[in-house]
Amino acid sequence: MGMKIEYVNPFIESTYDLFSTMLECKAVRGDIGVGAPKANPRDVMALIGLSGMARGMVTLSFPVETALNMVNRLLSTEISTVDDTVSDAIAEMVNIVAGGAKSKLSGHDRPPIDLSLPTVLRGNSFNVDYPSGSVWLEVPFDSDLGSFTLRVTFDMDDDK
Amino acid sequence: MRALVVDDSAVMRKVLIGALGRANITDVDQAADGVEAVSATESQDYDLILMDWNMPNMLGIDAVRKIRENGKTMPIIMVTTEAEKSRVIDALKAGAQNYVIKPFEPATIVTKIQDVLAKAAG
Repeated sequence: MGMKIEYVNPFIESTYDLFSTMLECKAVRGDIGVGAPKANPRDVMALIGLSGMARGMVTLSFPVETALNMVNRLLSTEISTVDDTVSDAIAEMVNIVAGGAKSKLSGHDRPPIDLSLPTVLRGNSFNVDYPSGSVWLEVPFDSDLGSFTLRVTFDMDDDK
Repeated sequence: MRALVVDDSAVMRKVLIGALGRANITDVDQAADGVEAVSATESQDYDLILMDWNMPNMLGIDAVRKIRENGKTMPIIMVTTEAEKSRVIDALKAGAQNYVIKPFEPATIVTKIQDVLAKAAG
């Protein structure tokens, strides 16, 4: 896949937007690396597919503590275990990040990119297989609500 | 004053119900997709609808079209991640009065709610 490093920037900007508006705190990114998503028993992972002129996938992986902090900030609750409400919230987070990024990637003269409905994975063991040759860009973040990781892989028609 | 909140995310519905509360609207029904939204408007009169775009079963924009085809004239605000200009134009053509892009600051959506209700009241 023709994954250009600058393609990750709209996703980073959308993550900043999400935190500064709905979560009322600042997210700070670390160094961009390369790494595919993998199961971690301490994580809740949300993923969403892109189709149309950009094809690929976006994931957000949150340690349980971060996920709970985010949901409790969003809803002014005191939820202490990962339940359906937490999964629902994490799904909406990846939807908002991908949605914001796709509009930035689409520009004014390109057809819109379509998003799949989000999926949330949690648990001790799962395998997700990706097309061989996929290059995943990995962006670690830190915030007042805890750390988390954004991962993105896709290619665009412009690459050809 | 009765409102309908339409979003497939229960968490987002809670956030939006909170925003409606800040605009002094506490009589709120919920729908999880466009089909439920259209059905709700057939059995209940609403003064305002907050409508997501991407939902299973029926998209929000198709629900807006259907609600307008059924002769309903209440203000509808799209609340969605769909930020492209073409999508905003499509929503307004379909019959939405206003448009809020996710993510939003709580104060932003409260202002939009108050604006569309003030315009609807003439």
